[in-house]
Amino acid sequence: MRINKSKSITNWGLYPSIKTNEYIPQSIDEYKEAISSSNKLIARGNGRCYGDASFQNDVISTKKWNKFIDFDRDRGFIEVEAGVLLSDILEASVPAGYFITVTPGTKFITVGGAIASDVHGKNHHVDGCFSEHLVYFDLMIESGEIVRCSRNDNPELFWSTIGGMGLTGVILSARFLLKKIETAYIRNEAIQAKNLDEIFKLFEESESWTYTVAWLDCLQKGDSLGKSIMLRGEHATLDEVSENIKKNPLKIKKKPKLNIPFFFPNFALNPLSIKVFNWLYFNKQLKKHVKNYVDYDQFFYPLDMVHNWNRIYGKNGFIQYQFVIPKNNGLEGMREILKTIADSGNGSFLVVLKLFGESNSKAYNSFPQPGYTLALDFKVNKGLKKLIEKLDEIVERNGGRIYRTKDAMSKPSLTNYLKNVDSTKFESIQNERINRFKKQ
Amino acid sequence: MIVLGSNSDISLAFIEKVLKEGQRFPMMYLFTSNVDKTMKLANHIEAKYDQKCEIIEFDLTKKNNYQTIEHIDSDLLFCASGFLGKNTEEGLYDIENTMKIVEINYSKLIFLINFFAKKMEAKGSGTIIALSSVAGERGRQSNFIYGSAKAGFTAYLAGLRNYLFHKKVHVMTVIPGFMDTEMTADIETPKPLTAQPDQAADIIYKAYKKKRNIVYVTFVWWGIMMIIRNIPEFIFKKLKM
Repeated sequence: MRINKSKSITNWGLYPSIKTNEYIPQSIDEYKEAISSSNKLIARGNGRCYGDASFQNDVISTKKWNKFIDFDRDRGFIEVEAGVLLSDILEASVPAGYFITVTPGTKFITVGGAIASDVHGKNHHVDGCFSEHLVYFDLMIESGEIVRCSRNDNPELFWSTIGGMGLTGVILSARFLLKKIETAYIRNEAIQAKNLDEIFKLFEESESWTYTVAWLDCLQKGDSLGKSIMLRGEHATLDEVSENIKKNPLKIKKKPKLNIPFFFPNFALNPLSIKVFNWLYFNKQLKKHVKNYVDYDQFFYPLDMVHNWNRIYGKNGFIQYQFVIPKNNGLEGMREILKTIADSGNGSFLVVLKLFGESNSKAYNSFPQPGYTLALDFKVNKGLKKLIEKLDEIVERNGGRIYRTKDAMSKPSLTNYLKNVDSTKFESIQNERINRFKKQ
Repeated sequence: MIVLGSNSDISLAFIEKVLKEGQRFPMMYLFTSNVDKTMKLANHIEAKYDQKCEIIEFDLTKKNNYQTIEHIDSDLLFCASGFLGKNTEEGLYDIENTMKIVEINYSKLIFLINFFAKKMEAKGSGTIIALSSVAGERGRQSNFIYGSAKAGFTAYLAGLRNYLFHKKVHVMTVIPGFMDTEMTADIETPKPLTAQPDQAADIIYKAYKKKRNIVYVTFVWWGIMMIIRNIPEFIFKKLKM
């Protein structure tokens, strides 16, 4: 088996970084060998989580475990190994008329990671999390035994692994259900909102839409606090698309990929440049309400088009901060948080607001809860820890919590919600950090 | 499409590249000496690309029955069949090792390629893409049994290209340098000179579409081999390469 000794790794935020021994198994026997030869390890897929979620001194990479097992083109069931990327699935499924039912904002995550984080998407209020559409998965536990987990087979292990951050074992493969589509296009509406009141109202009004999300300008203050653009969408049917698309409804044009070839220097990102970016972003649309058709890549994965976009934050990297706060505290809590960020001047390009729907009480380790969730990028700098402390305090006071998949430095009491995942062997540095706090 | 050496990482990468570009075949014939491993691959190709596969067990080191493959025919043959064997110090006087290297990389392999070349010649169309090696460009002390088999193979391909050109069949020789594959998993290779299977597949695919004759994966190897080929023998023999 290939082992990369003391390899430097970072997750997508480039912060923090760690030296690790990377085991790359290619057979079941090699998986067993890797697990038995390490005292403590964690599975790692494509490294698209943030912070220290997939870090350990030994990591077991699922990247080479990337084969399809079955694709039932009549009913939409697909079974793949855990290292298969969502992008690989879309490549095969879209031409066959199927879409991934729940997808996050990047298609470059593995299926194993999607289960371990129980990812959510723009349709959480309609379709729930990734696990909602999961039939079963195979998990290799500490002993090297492979356990099939579903709602009926080993349900305790099934539910604790979902959103369980890899702390129960290594997911080897999974079977799940895809969603039927008629075209590869989305009927899209973009609506400008002047402030937080307006965008919240828009979310309430858009509940019947399958996909809703808002991009927010976090440097606005006063009456403009919460200035944003709501994006809502539906899979376009064959009847509604143009004649041109009808000829080849499940195919999208190949787009040239942009690339960030090097790390941006530290001064490139500052309050002014972010203001300019936000101004451009919010004023690219002249009308208040735009309706059009866009392909699924543009709608779901706009950032995937820019290779290595994480480099714009410079070598020190950035963190993603995503929290959820209950709906009844939503408006006031959010106002306080946005005000704190705007006052700090520590702005972010990528601010995504979303209204979560009901959560599945059985998936007790999943992050989403009914309420508002906000995700932001913050460049790592001296003042960041202070800002995070302030934000954490507001989130906690409003009964919210933090998404572990993106956590790097939040208060452990906000990420300390996992149950039934205690394993002596499968352990991440993140979990150790959170547990240390528990014991204090 | 006919694939010889189906379990090679480059084979899979190239198969995926061709299928991703939208090409489909009545059947994908996967030649292998390790059926179990190829089963997983065939399954993957069928599930992901809806491309039917037939696995053909064919071990070049054993007696081969060509009647069992009489039904196989395609316009595209991809050959990544190869065996590195032990290096000179361990394997030079090891008869079994030497035989295996020569059979898999050259002597038995060219029968198999000839078998399909004949069919293509009869039809007057087709493409043969075969992987040789930089090791075949000049005999070096480190692994010259492998190198000599590859040298023979390169010469065979060149001759075959010349012969089949007049019959409207194209033969392309691929010369990979260090590859990040299972074959080299235990060898430390310098990173800038080492290509990933996907990268190689892209280069090979482009060359196949352009009907190139000889293609180096990656280009830097063309330069390196140019130098190595041109070192005078009286100096070369003193080097430890």
